[in-house]
Amino acid sequence: MIQGAVDQEQRTEEQERAPDVRGGTAPLPVSILAAGWGAIGLVIIGTVLLQVWYTFNGPALSSSICRTNPGLFRQVPQGTKIILKPIGGALGTCHIISALNSTAETVLLWLAAIVGIATVVAAFYFFRRMPTKRMREQVIAGGVLGSQAFLIALFVLWFRSGEGATRFANQFLNFDVLSGSVGSFVNGAKFTVMLAAGGELGGIILGLTLSLLALSGRKSVRAPARVYINFFRGTPLIWQLTVFYFGLAGLGLNLSAFQTGLLVFSLNTGAYSAEVFRAGIQSIERGQMEAARSLGMTYLQAMRYAIVPQAVRRVIPPLMNEFVILIKDTALVVVLGVVLSEREMFSVAQDGYASSANSTFYVAAAIGYLIITLPLIRLVTFVESRLRTGLTGIVGL
Amino acid sequence: MSDTGGSLVELQNIHKWFGDLHVLKGIDVSIDPKQVVVVIGPSGSGKSTLLRCINVLEMPTQGKVIFDGEDITDIRTNVNKVRTHIGIVFQAYNLFPHKTVMQNITIALEKVLGVNGSEANDRAMEQLKRVGLEHKAQAHPGQLSGGQQQRVAIARALAMRPKLMLFDEVTSALDPELVKEVLDTMKQLAEEGMTMVIVTHEMGFAREVGTRLLFMDDGKILEDGEPRAIFENPGDDRCRDFLSHVL
Repeated sequence: MIQGAVDQEQRTEEQERAPDVRGGTAPLPVSILAAGWGAIGLVIIGTVLLQVWYTFNGPALSSSICRTNPGLFRQVPQGTKIILKPIGGALGTCHIISALNSTAETVLLWLAAIVGIATVVAAFYFFRRMPTKRMREQVIAGGVLGSQAFLIALFVLWFRSGEGATRFANQFLNFDVLSGSVGSFVNGAKFTVMLAAGGELGGIILGLTLSLLALSGRKSVRAPARVYINFFRGTPLIWQLTVFYFGLAGLGLNLSAFQTGLLVFSLNTGAYSAEVFRAGIQSIERGQMEAARSLGMTYLQAMRYAIVPQAVRRVIPPLMNEFVILIKDTALVVVLGVVLSEREMFSVAQDGYASSANSTFYVAAAIGYLIITLPLIRLVTFVESRLRTGLTGIVGL
Repeated sequence: MSDTGGSLVELQNIHKWFGDLHVLKGIDVSIDPKQVVVVIGPSGSGKSTLLRCINVLEMPTQGKVIFDGEDITDIRTNVNKVRTHIGIVFQAYNLFPHKTVMQNITIALEKVLGVNGSEANDRAMEQLKRVGLEHKAQAHPGQLSGGQQQRVAIARALAMRPKLMLFDEVTSALDPELVKEVLDTMKQLAEEGMTMVIVTHEMGFAREVGTRLLFMDDGKILEDGEPRAIFENPGDDRCRDFLSHVL
């Protein structure tokens, strides 16, 4: 009776929830799950921590220390003799290799491999014998994590065994070579975003206009819009950039690579977003246009007050996806030879590689692109889910 | 100005084709002011198309629609202006989901009729009171029940102060318990003397509120007369068959 009253009270306080029917758990499945997590934690977090520790507390960087590590030097024939020469940039990656070859890393990798494979074996044995759904899921998750830890540990053991690791670290992870270029990368990121944002803005304005023309009932109005859209969708972006840059220069109109980029990205995005807007407008129920027209609105008034505002909300996710694509496509202006002060991120990386022959510049550019695009990709997912639940559709954005 | 003998709407030999589908096959009807014309008939008989020809939402393939003495099927007629005098309410409400109830009503007043903001608000409020939804003025359509949305749609049409109201199966999409509130609003409107053309499947309502009944089948009007008389003694075989199925 009293219990019932308490239940009642709790129910009115918080929203009623569906019962949890996954069932309880037991020490065995929990320990298998923990072992899986432990194995993968060892190999990933352990390796990262070791790298960090060596970065700050590792042996002082000197060529003599690097020489004690295999793979940091190469054999160069000189006359009749063969001498050892440090590989370019070896100093910058010395601590990476040192950490990888340390005893601590060895212990870590073997431990992860053994725990990992043991977890897999245990999981295979036990998962069908678990009495509840929750326990079975825990056992399976532990086994999967264990197998991942095992594979990663084996890979790292193999990877560090030869000279390959050193070569790889030198070529891709030699962050020392970036020391003078951080400012250039930040500036490059700024120009990348400016190019993409400018192109997207111009493209949206152009695209909306084109979509309205393309939706006209009159062929004479539709035709030019279709020709434009098909042309810009049907030719390579790199062709458009090149032709506008060199072609316009040939006609006496000298635009900088950055200006050409803004122009061409706007024209190109205009064509793509026209199709997005067209689809968005066509997705609005016919009744909306009929309601607006039956109130005496002209076609354009109906578009402006009833159809387009609704269509714009619906096309926000695809337009944002296009923006992400455009951010990456800005790299194409590299073919125009961007001047030093207007370089975007990829040009910075390209120039860095040209002067150092080291691919770490490309890695840095990738990190830069991801820093910009990943939050946007998350945002698209968020907006899409809001639209799907109808929240955005009904009340504002 | 009227050269049609006092009628508000006159349909002259209306034919409508959708592609090769012959939907209306020669409709001649004239509707006088204050008449409440109820149109019934099996689905696919052309009732809705006929209704939508009256405000030329569908342009008849052949024939003329004379509204208030003006041939509105003439290509030189400004149909946008004509439509401000003809309200229509749809089966699917067709409210603008991105606007509030108030904005749904005021948008056409302001942008089409050029009524200024505060007067538009007053006129909208007046109609919302008539349909009993003044407290929902700031809600969005998605927050209302189907019956409430349909009453807003009626208020939106009435705020234009039309001479004629068209109702296109306005209760067909409603849950049974919401039908009455919409029918009551329409009944009240009929009592106030509004000229109305109502396509409906609500036979009780047709009989009670209608002053004239049209039975359509296969794109033609087969019965035209006093609702009670037709319900009690249908002259046409197909009408009798239809009524025996729905009553």
